[in-house]
Amino acid sequence: MAAIRELCKSLVQPILAVMIGLLTGAIVIAAVGESVIGTYQEMWKGAFGSFYFFTSTLARATPIMLIALGLALAFRAGVFNLGAEGQMVLGAISATLVAIYLPAPGIVKMLAGLMVGIAVGGLWSLLAGFMEARFRIPLLISTLLFNYIAVLFASYLVTEPFQDRTGSAALAQTLMLDKSAWLPKLFSGMSVHAGFFFAIAAALLLFWVIRFTPFGYEVKMLGQNPLFARYGGINQIKVMLTGMFASGGLAGLAGTVEVFGSHYRFVDGALTVPNFAWTGMMATLLANSHPIGIVFTSILLAAFQTGAMGVERNTEVPLELASVIQAVLILFISAKFSYDWWKKRKAKGGESHGAA
Amino acid sequence: MTHRLEMKQMTKKYGEFTANDQVSLTLEAGEVHAIVGENGAGKTTLMRMLYGMEQPTAGEILLNGKPVSFRGPNDAIRNGIGMVHQHFMLFGEFSVAENIVIGYEPKQAGFFRRKEAVEKVSALSEQYRIPINPQARVSTCSVGEQQRVEILKVLYQGADIIVLDEPTAVLTPLEVKDLLQTIRNLAASGKSVILITHKLQEVMEVSDRITVLRGGRVTGTVSRHETNVDDLARLMVGRELEELSQRIPLEGKRLLHVDQVTVREKQTLLDNVSFAVHHGEIVGIAGVSGNGQSELLQVISGLRPVQAGKIHLAGADVTNKSVESIRQAGLAHIPEDRYMWGTAKQESVEENALMGYQRKPDYYRRGVILRDAFRQVVRGWVDRFAIKTGSRQLQELAGNLSGGNLQKLIVARELGQETPLLVAAEPTRGVDIGAMEYIHQALIEKRNSGDGILLVSSELSEILALSDRILVMYKGRIAGELARSEATEEKISVLMAGGNVHGSDQRAV
Repeated sequence: MAAIRELCKSLVQPILAVMIGLLTGAIVIAAVGESVIGTYQEMWKGAFGSFYFFTSTLARATPIMLIALGLALAFRAGVFNLGAEGQMVLGAISATLVAIYLPAPGIVKMLAGLMVGIAVGGLWSLLAGFMEARFRIPLLISTLLFNYIAVLFASYLVTEPFQDRTGSAALAQTLMLDKSAWLPKLFSGMSVHAGFFFAIAAALLLFWVIRFTPFGYEVKMLGQNPLFARYGGINQIKVMLTGMFASGGLAGLAGTVEVFGSHYRFVDGALTVPNFAWTGMMATLLANSHPIGIVFTSILLAAFQTGAMGVERNTEVPLELASVIQAVLILFISAKFSYDWWKKRKAKGGESHGAA
Repeated sequence: MTHRLEMKQMTKKYGEFTANDQVSLTLEAGEVHAIVGENGAGKTTLMRMLYGMEQPTAGEILLNGKPVSFRGPNDAIRNGIGMVHQHFMLFGEFSVAENIVIGYEPKQAGFFRRKEAVEKVSALSEQYRIPINPQARVSTCSVGEQQRVEILKVLYQGADIIVLDEPTAVLTPLEVKDLLQTIRNLAASGKSVILITHKLQEVMEVSDRITVLRGGRVTGTVSRHETNVDDLARLMVGRELEELSQRIPLEGKRLLHVDQVTVREKQTLLDNVSFAVHHGEIVGIAGVSGNGQSELLQVISGLRPVQAGKIHLAGADVTNKSVESIRQAGLAHIPEDRYMWGTAKQESVEENALMGYQRKPDYYRRGVILRDAFRQVVRGWVDRFAIKTGSRQLQELAGNLSGGNLQKLIVARELGQETPLLVAAEPTRGVDIGAMEYIHQALIEKRNSGDGILLVSSELSEILALSDRILVMYKGRIAGELARSEATEEKISVLMAGGNVHGSDQRAV
């Protein structure tokens, strides 16, 4: 009973944020001069209106979810990994190149690609962690700046040495992967692919780790009070580095499944333009770093985006509607922080009255 | 007859909770009136109502016979009530005189007359025999001097009623003596003093009358001549205090050996410190806080590296080892600041209890923490130490526990490690008498079972009650050692202030 009440309580704030986001969206729609209800109907249709749209939403949610799960682990440990974008891109380009140039059967190419994607994303993230542990370079800064290095380096790789020159148009992209190395689609003709299962599996695994294992406990305590964790014998640096590797690895996996399941080649900008990394961070914040919650918030945020595409196809309201709603969401998620803080302050005040 | 101050039937409710229930109190001119009670007894609430920081739910305050109601501290100050808080509110970069006249500065044509301020403060200092250098910068003053600045500030503001909130908590024994003298001087010159404290010895020394609170109610108002420490303790706790268990004489082997340890940062924090703790022994470390005790604890428990020297625990070299490996070698640790080091306030009682146990074979199998098994253990602790966890029991947030109950949880957790050495830093700071009894009893039992305890405390009474040997720290060094039989409060006080005790043997190791 208490657990259910807890769950409901933790849901109130995100639901409220979503409602207010939609309300603000309504004002924007009204300002454009379109019917609010009609537009939201289009949005719903665009996201969930048919099986095809529904699976497209799930496909879009896949990388968001994987990134969000990685960030959740880092956030819980009190580690601010803002480098998901770079970790995703670097993981994806490495995985793609391995899968293209490794002389092996398709299934081996695919598995090797997935492994390399996780490993490279993880190591790239670990490097920032190491710099923090060894040279006290704040993660917040290093991870953020590492994004530029990774994204631009990948961009160089596909415009210069590994560019696909087989076609007539010299686009910034790699060769196409062998068909045998592609991640299978879950339904033929639909865009959702096996990567979605990886994301769900990762969510369940993370839930288990956080809830039941000593490592999950240590991550949580480190996030709650680092001094207490240190006092209790938790090796702060080990937990931080493990957390960084895991969150980077999941970001790398996100980029890899997106390439292996949707694009089948690394296209410059294909991972950064849709803003998977920052949407993933939003999904984590909205779910308060809860792995199961992230499954839903990732789908929700993906739905806003695919829905907005439907809106743009069928009404005069521009695609940016999704951005407006998301921006308001962020605003109200941060409002949650201050609301919590305010509540805490109030509670503390009450305590000091009581204790004489 | 009118009293200088009369508080009648004061009641304060916070929702369901009654913090003060019909508390009445009178205060005469020239009287020192102590208010004693355990944590949560309602002392602070009562004073907050007097000072205008809280509005009473019911009740009346009469000042010289006239009913008054204060909307805030400024109202109270204007009516001659001043309060010296436990935490000083001073500007370190300004001079003593400037801090005292703040808000009521002597002015001429809008300009601050610094010279006049110094003169006024000097006059005040002489009048009440409170020695102070008006031109010293506050940040260079000792804690005792800073407290005198606070007292002079309320006198300057024209207070006739001075409320002192736990004034001796931060002072050295010698400074306490001075403060008690100051309080008597104030009373002799006609001021009325309300002294909030839980130190009964001091109460007996300085006050005229004593009001005891328990659970928000007055359990007795007595004149000092009609009472004694035991009676007061009984009124505070509501029952007889139990005697500590007998200490069994033990001659144990050496357990902890700290050998010429030096810690240097910007300055030398620990200077060539050597001592040992044996099995079946409680070694108490006394000292004014800030003389290296914190650093010593951190060094022993692995939270801070040493620059020179060796530390051996149970035969193993643990110098500059990780916290984890030192704990494995046999150390448990009650930290000096329970909120900073000892808990995660936003986590449940259970999660806080689990710290240090999450990888123990008894509670960890096939990658998973055995929550059910561990919960049984925590329930055992809760029963044994009578920890009040609130309605959600083990799932209650640690931050919602009272200080005493949280401390009991930490003590239970660290005792539960059953390590040969326990480092206990301020094990009873801020806990009430009932909880203190429990904790002291548990420490004695651990000693009697043959384990060693290193006790650090700023309460001399605690050091004297528990220790087999007492080391006194002064400026990062061991200033002296006293055996239990020869230790007295006076001897320790002298060492704490940097003096020498004739005849103290230097057998530190």
